[in-house]
Amino acid sequence: MVRIRQYESRILQEYHADKTPAWDIGAGLIPGEMHLSAGQEPAAVGVCAHLRQGDAITAPHRPHHFALAHGVDMQAMTAEIYGRTTGLCKGKGGHMHLFDPDNHFSCSGIIAQGYPVACGQALAMKRRGTDNVTIAVAGEGAANQGAFHESLNLAALWNLPVVFVIEDNDWAISVPRADSTANTSNADRAAGYGIPGVRVENNDVEAVYEAAGAAIDRARAGEGPSLLEVHTLRLWGHFEGDAQAYRTDLETVDERDPLPRYAAALTASGDLTEAQMAEIAAAANAEVEAAIQFAVNSPIPAPEDALLHVFA
Amino acid sequence: MVRSTTVGIIANPASARDIRRLVAQGGSLTTHDKVNLLHRVLAGLGAVGVDRVLSMADGSGIMSGLLRGVGRPSNASWPELTFVDQPITRTEADTSTATGHMVEAGVGAIVVLGGDGTNRVVAAHAGAVPLVSISTGTNNAFPQASEATVAGVAAGLVATHRDCRTAGTYRAKTLEVVSGDRIERALVDVAITDVDGVGSGAVWDSSTLRELYLSFAEADAIGLSAIGGHLRPVARRHPEGLAIRLGEPARYTVHPPIGPGLLSSTSVHTLSSLVAGRTVEARAASGVVAVDGERLFRFGIDRRPRITLRHDGPVVVDVAATLRFAAEERLLSETAEAAEPAARSSSSSTGDAKQPPNSPDEKGNHCEATQSARALHRDGQDPAVRVPDPAGVPR
Repeated sequence: MVRIRQYESRILQEYHADKTPAWDIGAGLIPGEMHLSAGQEPAAVGVCAHLRQGDAITAPHRPHHFALAHGVDMQAMTAEIYGRTTGLCKGKGGHMHLFDPDNHFSCSGIIAQGYPVACGQALAMKRRGTDNVTIAVAGEGAANQGAFHESLNLAALWNLPVVFVIEDNDWAISVPRADSTANTSNADRAAGYGIPGVRVENNDVEAVYEAAGAAIDRARAGEGPSLLEVHTLRLWGHFEGDAQAYRTDLETVDERDPLPRYAAALTASGDLTEAQMAEIAAAANAEVEAAIQFAVNSPIPAPEDALLHVFA
Repeated sequence: MVRSTTVGIIANPASARDIRRLVAQGGSLTTHDKVNLLHRVLAGLGAVGVDRVLSMADGSGIMSGLLRGVGRPSNASWPELTFVDQPITRTEADTSTATGHMVEAGVGAIVVLGGDGTNRVVAAHAGAVPLVSISTGTNNAFPQASEATVAGVAAGLVATHRDCRTAGTYRAKTLEVVSGDRIERALVDVAITDVDGVGSGAVWDSSTLRELYLSFAEADAIGLSAIGGHLRPVARRHPEGLAIRLGEPARYTVHPPIGPGLLSSTSVHTLSSLVAGRTVEARAASGVVAVDGERLFRFGIDRRPRITLRHDGPVVVDVAATLRFAAEERLLSETAEAAEPAARSSSSSTGDAKQPPNSPDEKGNHCEATQSARALHRDGQDPAVRVPDPAGVPR
């Protein structure tokens, strides 16, 4: 979680460093919109700790935490975010379109788009007779999309090895769930398709780890799909530059940050020393700085290559 | 003299959504189901003259679901519905805060929708307010099965009739567990496990159990207390409890239902009685303490848990006993006018026919309590209560 937070914190700085004028999202070293995942680390870490070679993830528009936790190469991912030729997609995808075939990782800016794709990947795994699983990640707002329901239906009908993960950070851009959703827990929605649905409260990484482990074990054993909803926290704006004027919970955001809370719990229980914590932070810092340097030093795609690799 | 006809409601929106839906066959009771149960409770409360309900506020759909029912013709008999003015944290603090406000507001009973964990938190703050527990958790030993309408009627009767409270309630036992500065109270069980950490809370693997302390143990229970229930049952109102050491060398092997659809062979080394007021110390030098089936904290040898059975637990409404008393006293029935002569004739041999319960001069307390509660609301003297605008309510 420290590694992810360090990454997001540095991308935040880099994104704003030379964005002039500030409203021009095309300006600066990192072009395009930016959706950072600070505060949501427990969901990614608790789930991805159970994954192994051959397992797949389809992530949404806020993908960095799941990408890093799943083992996507930090340098290639950073180069992609910077739009460089050494990036995962040769700089043509940007931060919302990270595709890593080696690690079976993909993401998309289209809400809930990853859910049907995950069903396809899980179907392939099942037909090949492997015990691999696919993790489909989306936010709580995405659960109102038709693709969510179609995917749960198919996954249940075909008994697919997929775990649907809902990151409920309370805000679908600027819309609270109460203003958009009649059903107050997406864990309950799973019942409509006859699959188990579990909700983990308090952004607790150990609780996510246990629940995700049970869900993934089920899927590997051929017992079918399940849904895991994690009540998490969007520590920053929906996108970078979002003033969050709509947000009624800003006052309590900092005190709900899961990282200092978990670090305090680990040190209090004697599982982590201050020295170990400093080592972890230093290692994360070095890795992130190296990734940024790699990206900054990589070439920008040539204009004449704009149409290459775009059409299959 | 019972002075209040306000009844509290604590409905845990998070109950029954835990990991046991994955590792066992935990049910899928939705928020809509919980709201439906509360509609029945409100109908029951209204039927026996409770004129106000004070409910916990939440941001998870219970409050908004109830408010959607206000004003519908079919719900005309509901008591006035109010909510505790409280910050919403989506943690168990919401339950404890709401319970405290209800006690301060003088509610005559609290209806609890949740499992053993929810009831444990309510019980810790409810003082002598009677609890009516409706099971909406995954594993529930503390709440006894009762239909929600009937439970609402029982809650209303206990809140409005002193004699019903006397006849229909009892003091539950609790288990106090002390570890260092930490003090917890269990309603049903304290378990010492060797699981590594608190994680998702629930306990579903009996092989991780090392010690088990039970305030009561029923053979038809589900959960950890069933281990004792199948070896040495202990009734809810029996003065003693039960201590169990698990593992090898095993003197018994028991096959209890630990979770929904989950039965596992469990090795039991020894059984012994727990005597009220006599503290016992856990034998394990380290582990995790689970209280009413929820892992709460780790301990080391310097904070070895000490467990004491106590008789000062919450006041619990026995729904069946309350309704039996109400039937005997004819609190929910009256003789039709056309049958009056026959009834009077009959009553000469079977006892007096009772007056309708709402009669202001029968026992006095109900009518007085109703007026008291109405005056409280009208005067706006209760700062813990708000009557929300349905359009602006947090959900």
